[in-house]
Amino acid sequence: MSRNNGRLHLWAFLQGIGFFPGGWRAPDATPRAVFQRDYYERVARLVDDACFDAIVFGDQLQGRDAAGRTPGRLAIPTLDPFTLLSVMAGVTRHVGLVATVSTTFNEPAEVAAKFAALNLVSQGRAGWNIVTTVHPNSPWNFGAADLLEKSLRYDRAKAFVDAAEVFWRDAAGLDDPQRAANLKNRWFDIAGTLDFPTSPQYRPVLVQAGQSPDGRNFAAQTAEAIFCPAPTLEAGRDYRDDIRERARTFGRNPDGILIMPGLAFVLGSTEEEAQRKHALMLELADDALCIEYLSESIGYDLTRHPAGGPIPLEQICAECEFPAGDVRRMLAPAAEAGETIADFCRAYARKPRGHAIFVGTPDQLADRMETWIDAGACDGFTLQPGYMPTELELFCAHVVPLLQVRGLLRRQYQGTTLRDHLAVGVGT
Amino acid sequence: MYLSINIDIPDGAGDAYDALARTADRVEAAKADFAILARAHGDQGLAPPRIEPVVSLPWIAGRLRTPLVVAAIPALHSVPFHIARALSAADFLTDGRCGWLPLLAGGARFDAAYGVAQPLSGGEALAKYDDFIRATRALWDSWDEDALIIDKASGAYLDSAKVRRVDYRGPYFAAMGPLNAARPPQGHPLLLRDLDEVGESATAADVVLGGLDRLDRLARAPKGAVRLLKVTAASLDDGLHHVRDGLADGLHLMGPDALELLEALRGWVDCPPYVGTTARQRLGLRKPVNPYSRKGAA
Repeated sequence: MSRNNGRLHLWAFLQGIGFFPGGWRAPDATPRAVFQRDYYERVARLVDDACFDAIVFGDQLQGRDAAGRTPGRLAIPTLDPFTLLSVMAGVTRHVGLVATVSTTFNEPAEVAAKFAALNLVSQGRAGWNIVTTVHPNSPWNFGAADLLEKSLRYDRAKAFVDAAEVFWRDAAGLDDPQRAANLKNRWFDIAGTLDFPTSPQYRPVLVQAGQSPDGRNFAAQTAEAIFCPAPTLEAGRDYRDDIRERARTFGRNPDGILIMPGLAFVLGSTEEEAQRKHALMLELADDALCIEYLSESIGYDLTRHPAGGPIPLEQICAECEFPAGDVRRMLAPAAEAGETIADFCRAYARKPRGHAIFVGTPDQLADRMETWIDAGACDGFTLQPGYMPTELELFCAHVVPLLQVRGLLRRQYQGTTLRDHLAVGVGT
Repeated sequence: MYLSINIDIPDGAGDAYDALARTADRVEAAKADFAILARAHGDQGLAPPRIEPVVSLPWIAGRLRTPLVVAAIPALHSVPFHIARALSAADFLTDGRCGWLPLLAGGARFDAAYGVAQPLSGGEALAKYDDFIRATRALWDSWDEDALIIDKASGAYLDSAKVRRVDYRGPYFAAMGPLNAARPPQGHPLLLRDLDEVGESATAADVVLGGLDRLDRLARAPKGAVRLLKVTAASLDDGLHHVRDGLADGLHLMGPDALELLEALRGWVDCPPYVGTTARQRLGLRKPVNPYSRKGAA
């Protein structure tokens, strides 16, 4: 068999029931299964057999309510990522397992211990998507009134990762030249580490999703892989070039960082079939769902107002939980143009979270991936199936073989740890 | 009679993964009723395990299909939101077979790692322990049992009236809620308490453990609570005697030979006739009432 690790990396972002907010209503969607062990075991085996680098789960540290009202039409319970990945570790041999964890509402000791445990039960397959938490309601669940200001959040994030590194190095018996400074500083005053067991790949692979200048600098200093939205090939190339340049500035080899933009997809055996399925996804997100979707995004309960009425911009800006300036920028043009609440919300929910959406056949998707790789727009993709589990199954059955035939994707794993799959070396 | 044991990676184990997996497989083969992810110190002390228990529990539950699986958690150094969230998921993915044992033990070790300059006094530690349990349970109560509807045809996923902010405010912890996780299948995962370190508490436990010198405390356990007596090979006969006299409902096996003891006992101690799947059903314990649910709701 081929000893080729491939030049296309695939990560599976498997949040809840999939990418589209209405996807849980698809005839073949299985929204109740996301509460069951069997579902996660089955999905994990599928991705492991398809030679993906990793499975990723996002995370949030707040309920999904807007001003206390939890949406009734969104499929929202998101199970704890560590728990899901721990279950998946038990039924797979190779695929990496990446958990999203905040550096703002945790302590290095706890996070280091958790990743050491995930790394142990998976025998070296853990990854950490490092986030700083931006939702204004999150602090309320931790007895805090407000978030830290953004540059401070990243300052803490850097110190947090450095402190966690000491825990992992101590456990593995490795020296850390910065040990003292990384344990006692502006953010932390740590007197000793914990004696948890070590395992292959002594610490998790570090993953980041920085967008702002602070975030990009943090990612360029720290990350071994980066998620980003890239709606166009040019946007992807600009982002990748920028991160690689920043990495050089910090004295890092830019090849030590994989750029993995998000890519949602809906597959059909013909283009018409794929378009029909996409139209169904949009139709299943009815007005009431779309209004709840925007309500959650701004922290204001729009269901209080008539769906066909005007956008009450001033009232929203006075009461919303997200920063009023951001909300005003988002809504003002539509409000001034006289759009109704339902019109705006429908348009907003069509393109969730700013990621690129592919609709077409397996051949077309493989072409697109190859084009992006050849153009230097990315090192691979963080795939977001339109809805679960059908779209993931279609991808594994019909796109993966095409990518393998083209020599883009490995036919078998070349190593056992997540860092082996990334082939980026030890990183920082 | 219930048989219980604690599991951890042994100090100095060459291959930690192998040691943990093999221990789990023996505990499963011996059909323990409880497997507690905890580290032993001395003949009857329990502390949080070397391997982080909340993350390892879902994995080990895949090998431990028979026992109720319990995470020993450092109560003074854990965050209610994270624990409530993780144990909700663990309870779903084990079909309601999970439990938690918040412990004061390990304090100094955790104080150093978490950067706590001033250790809590005994009274403060107990108050924080109670606050930790209450805050975590309040977050589980932010969802009603029947909040989820999941009807594709109508598009109704859940009943918004059955999910709420609880605005918990205690002396050490505050949490607004709602939790971003549904109410666990058991309502609240099984709560275990080590009477050797927490004698009196304002929160009722579902299962209590105590040493032979704590028979008085076992006797004062809440009505219906399952009482496990900690024994070693040396004190096994005394333990069996007390179970026969009805002073305890089972044995928690400790000491260097605990696993061999479990295997030997299972040779003649029948597995209890379990009815149902969740820990509460098996042990005949009622689901907790949700104080926020409207009358008639769960």
